[in-house]
Amino acid sequence: MEEVIKVKSLTKDYGENRGIFDISFAVKKGEVFGFVGTNGSGKTTILRHLMGFLKPMKGEVKVLGLDSWKDSCEIKKYVEYVPGEIAFPDLKDGTTFLKNQAQLIGVKDMSYANYLIKKLQLDPSANLKRMSKGMKQKTAIVAAFMADKDIIILDEPATGLDPLMRETFLELVLEEKKKGKTIIMSSQMFDELELTCDKVALILNGRIIDIADINQLKNMPYKFYKVEFKEREQYLKFKKLKYEIVRDQEKYNQVTIKIQDKNINKMFNDLKNYNLKFISQVYHNLEKHFKDVLSTQKDSYIYKEEESKKELRKSKKLKKRLLKIENKQIKAKNKKEDRDDK
Amino acid sequence: MISKALFSQSCKANWIKWLTVTIATCAMLAIVIIVLGNLGINDIRDSLKNIFVQADQESTLKENAVDSYDLYLSSINGYESLEKNINFIIVLNSTFDTQVNQIEADTGKTLTREERAVIINQITDGIISSGMLASLGLDDVTARVFITSYLTQYSDDELNGVKIPPATIEVEGQIITNPEYITYIKNLMKGAFLEVIYNNAYLDYINKGYNEQESLNAADTAKELSNDAIENYKINGSPSIYDYKTDARNAVNLVMKNETIESLQNSGMTDEEIEQYAVSSKVISNTAISTYQLWLEEGVTVEEAKSHATESISDQLDTKVAEALSELGNMDIYGLIIGSIFYRIAGLLLPMVFVIMVSNNLLAGQVDSGSMAYVLSTPTKRRTVTTTQMAYLLFALFSMFALLTVVSVISVWVVGGNAFAINYGEILLFNAGAFLTMFAIAGYCFMCSAIFNRTKYSLSIGGGLTIFSLVCTILGLFGSAVVPSAMRISAMNFFNYLSIITFFDTVSILGGTLTYLWKFGVLAAIGIITFIIGVFRFDKKDLPL
Repeated sequence: MEEVIKVKSLTKDYGENRGIFDISFAVKKGEVFGFVGTNGSGKTTILRHLMGFLKPMKGEVKVLGLDSWKDSCEIKKYVEYVPGEIAFPDLKDGTTFLKNQAQLIGVKDMSYANYLIKKLQLDPSANLKRMSKGMKQKTAIVAAFMADKDIIILDEPATGLDPLMRETFLELVLEEKKKGKTIIMSSQMFDELELTCDKVALILNGRIIDIADINQLKNMPYKFYKVEFKEREQYLKFKKLKYEIVRDQEKYNQVTIKIQDKNINKMFNDLKNYNLKFISQVYHNLEKHFKDVLSTQKDSYIYKEEESKKELRKSKKLKKRLLKIENKQIKAKNKKEDRDDK
Repeated sequence: MISKALFSQSCKANWIKWLTVTIATCAMLAIVIIVLGNLGINDIRDSLKNIFVQADQESTLKENAVDSYDLYLSSINGYESLEKNINFIIVLNSTFDTQVNQIEADTGKTLTREERAVIINQITDGIISSGMLASLGLDDVTARVFITSYLTQYSDDELNGVKIPPATIEVEGQIITNPEYITYIKNLMKGAFLEVIYNNAYLDYINKGYNEQESLNAADTAKELSNDAIENYKINGSPSIYDYKTDARNAVNLVMKNETIESLQNSGMTDEEIEQYAVSSKVISNTAISTYQLWLEEGVTVEEAKSHATESISDQLDTKVAEALSELGNMDIYGLIIGSIFYRIAGLLLPMVFVIMVSNNLLAGQVDSGSMAYVLSTPTKRRTVTTTQMAYLLFALFSMFALLTVVSVISVWVVGGNAFAINYGEILLFNAGAFLTMFAIAGYCFMCSAIFNRTKYSLSIGGGLTIFSLVCTILGLFGSAVVPSAMRISAMNFFNYLSIITFFDTVSILGGTLTYLWKFGVLAAIGIITFIIGVFRFDKKDLPL
């Protein structure tokens, strides 16, 4: 498939280890690509580069083969955007804003916009300044989606929406996905991304740590089960069977086992003879996947770098303090000596 | 280059500010012009002016009186010295006659008046170059007038067949000078002498800046006075025998009084008033002459005595006070209030606030809040955004000042058109200047708005410096030339060098000089350059949207 968006070793260094570093990824046509990461990890900065609002320091960002900085205007013909920070122009109400926006985009047929308004249960006649956060978010979504363009860039689009509305919004995203649109979205909610995305990138301190393929995650050929036994003997006995134990909690007579799908019947057959307290499947979802990734990364250079820097700063401060204290002591001494001399 | 949707968005976002500022400024201007027009605030100024004009008139009157007095006495002295040199003048006659007769004998023709004039000129040239008249105390010009005039009379008498008494007669076998001939010569001499007085007085007055008619009148008066003096001399003889001071004073008083009456006869004053005025002017001139005499008796120089005798109120005051008062009298209060206070300070304040707020809202504000994302996520170039916002800002400013111009012209018309102290041309230039000032400020604020992503920087650097300029203009006003020197603190003029508004030169506009033109050019250039910098800078910066 054609690569609609291609980012190669993109770097924007704001100093003090802030910014984004050596970001590379590609999004194919019709794919939904997600970004997840803590606050300030650099998701928005990447999206701003895609929109051509920021100029890359290093590397290149190509959208539909065009340079996102130089040809940013040309690219906008194919891109719609929901910004992360919702602030509207100084206009009277939502309707005026949407009409103005339609004029700017060049949309004349408002039927799709009206469909979106109905779907999101938005009252656009409300005063823009008095809108709640959710309403603003909905207005922003309508303003972007009504353009009906091929590429959609969403910066934490579901924040502020109530749970029901979030469902509706995700439905909407899936609808767009069905239409064959390429969507890039950032979020802090794993379930959101899991539901809609094909691929999700985890960003930490401005670096992509991992890119997970959701389809692969969902269609893994094995499952995890957690089993608790009523009796200790049985627990010990089960452990002797050749199951792959991922987690072992001796205190509670609990084990978590990883089992290939084809062996699932064998497991239940084995378990028939045991007196169980409970058995439950442990879902290996995106969240868990990334937690695993992070736990392995903890020793990696990023953390070390961070921490060593922090320590360095601390030690510098300490040194300064020590110096100050020493200086004071020396001064005090000198004064004393002066007095004594007198 | 310009996005219609964005333009209308800017209009919708800012029209209330525009309307408020425009209405308030227009109302302020109309009130200022109309109220000032009806207050007659120039009354005090006019009365001050009158005092100084009267003082000037009085001074002139005194000067004339003293000069006339001098003329009377000097005429007697001059005429006396001429009489003493009468033999020299008799030689003139014979020289002329010899030359004329010789030429007539040679050519056999009678010479015409013109041909005689040539001879007169030759003789005059000869005498002046010989320097003989210097002994009489006459300078070259005076001498030329005197001799020419004298010989011309003589020649005219000959031509007109006036019987000229023979120069000598035989009395009892002896040839003596004919007394009738002497009388005749003395008459001619007096005529020529009066001609000199007339001529000198005329030139004197022309040099003092009087017009042709006034100078001619003054010369007539001088001639008359001089004639009186000579007639008096003929009766009473040399100043060494007779004291002419009192006569001179009386003669001058009479002349001054008659002159005043004559000059006031067409002024619409009643006879009684004229008489009164004439008496007072007589008293003034009399006082001046007495002062002059007294000072001369004290042994001071003539110049000093004259300056004591002719000083007016303004001369009596301390120079600084006199200057300050006379400046106050000449000050243009309308120009100060409307030009320097309204158009440069009060009237600029609200448009400034408008420009600071709006230019910040147009770019930096939208970038800071993030709403610019909605514009830039559509196929709209950054260049289009900046040019559209610039176009809106200029459109708003231009329409504001167009309205202000209309209001100001109407107000001036209501107050009385060109009869008002400020004319239409000046009011139009004021509006143009204020617009150009705002254009430069708008450019600067727009540039700041384009450079900074944060409202706080855009406002504090763009707006801060603008308000700073205005405050400096207010402080600088106390040091500028428009404030009367009594209130002026010239050190405060320093503030004018810190303000962009200084390029709006209302003093030059009111003074009719053209310096304001290049200053307008500077304002326009500042505006254009800053707008261009703003537009280019916005293209190249990172936007946190």
